[in-house]
Amino acid sequence: MAAFSATSVTFASSLKLSLKNNVITERTSNLKMVTVGWRKSSFPSLKTNRFRVSCAAKPETVQKVCDIVRKQLALPAETQLTSESKFVDLGADSLDTVEIVMTLEEEFEISVEEDSSQNITTVQEAADLIEKLVEKKAA
Amino acid sequence: MFSFFGRRVNFEMSLCCFQRNFSAALPSLVPVSLPSKKETHLWYVLPDEVKSETLLNQYLEILSPYEKESIYRMHGHQLKKSALLARALVRTTIARYQTNCQINPRSLKFRKNIYGKPEVDWQNDDDWCPPPLHFNISHTSSLVACGVTVDVPIGIDVEEKQRRIKNNILAFAKRYFSHEELQLLASVADPEIQHQEFIKLWTLKVGQEAYVKALGRGFSAAPFKTFTIWTRVETTGDFQHFEALDSEASEIVVESSDDPENLTNNWKFALLDLAGSHYAAICVEKDNSIGGETNAPMSLAVWKTVPFVEDERVSGTGAVVAIGGSVKQF
Repeated sequence: MAAFSATSVTFASSLKLSLKNNVITERTSNLKMVTVGWRKSSFPSLKTNRFRVSCAAKPETVQKVCDIVRKQLALPAETQLTSESKFVDLGADSLDTVEIVMTLEEEFEISVEEDSSQNITTVQEAADLIEKLVEKKAA
Repeated sequence: MFSFFGRRVNFEMSLCCFQRNFSAALPSLVPVSLPSKKETHLWYVLPDEVKSETLLNQYLEILSPYEKESIYRMHGHQLKKSALLARALVRTTIARYQTNCQINPRSLKFRKNIYGKPEVDWQNDDDWCPPPLHFNISHTSSLVACGVTVDVPIGIDVEEKQRRIKNNILAFAKRYFSHEELQLLASVADPEIQHQEFIKLWTLKVGQEAYVKALGRGFSAAPFKTFTIWTRVETTGDFQHFEALDSEASEIVVESSDDPENLTNNWKFALLDLAGSHYAAICVEKDNSIGGETNAPMSLAVWKTVPFVEDERVSGTGAVVAIGGSVKQF
């Protein structure tokens, strides 16, 4: 839904993008036709980006999570760690994940439910959950 | 070392090349008979013993595109290598248990059950009955293991004995283990031994969880806390923790705090000291249909392998020492 509330300027640039990616030659196509022509994949990326901007955890939180993960997994300095990094791809097994959760709990003074901890698979997910719990605590 | 892991383009190009050259001449695997219903087979690979790039390429060759993608996403050569060996071990191990025809390890397909437990997705041939094979893999960066059974589900876990725990062990146990297990760990004075006991308990619990996933059942929200793993010495019937154990005549049982009167006896556990460096936990279902089965030890055969190169039966040697549960190696 967020995608549809785009301003006309944004819309125009997205239109240009889809024209590049798809075989649409009629630049004067109306909205309906262009929509059909858009690749499926262009919708989700648009939507997700907007969604993320409004709900993502603070960069400081993400950074703290990265530091803790780096330390737990003893990652070499050259290993790149981003918010999208998946724990399993970094070599974390179940004990590592549990340890990471414990350290995060101590660091942020929160308590993570068992169900939630099983859903933490990336740095971003951990950071988002932390912020949610910190907010709840403050409330 | 792994130049082909570097750039994606090269990776895919080498792949096409291998398919042309290798698909006809797949190295052979020494076939093995299926375990009987009462037996458990365990295969393991030591990554440090696999150095040849050619061999690693051969392993890569038998994986599915999806598996290759997963490996490609791992960070670092060590992780990629053990992940590669894990997939190669599963495929080659299952392929060994031939029934009527040769199974090409590359042709095996896998799927996950609703709890995320991998299983073989046998491609149905009209007149071919797939073997009732169950398997489970577990690996660390220095050991990759695959357990195999017939008819009954199996769960395994391997952990490095020397694995460091970053958090305080008792704080961890308080959070994730049952009350009895916390007491048990708290009563151990020597930090080194406490550390060992912790790893053993964790390994058993993860092995059990793998088993429960195999059954198609998930755990409730706080699985580890509701189960206590005890070792019962057969002769006296007393409960002891592992340190006190000095004989193999013991049985590992699980007590559910939801139902403390009923010691869950559907499972057989074994805890091994494997290759001197790892604890390995194996959890299989007891087949109560076989007479006299209830208290029979776990019949276990263990092989150390470098798939396509060599296999060594190591059950009964110093490489496999039973330290918990009733185990009979053969």
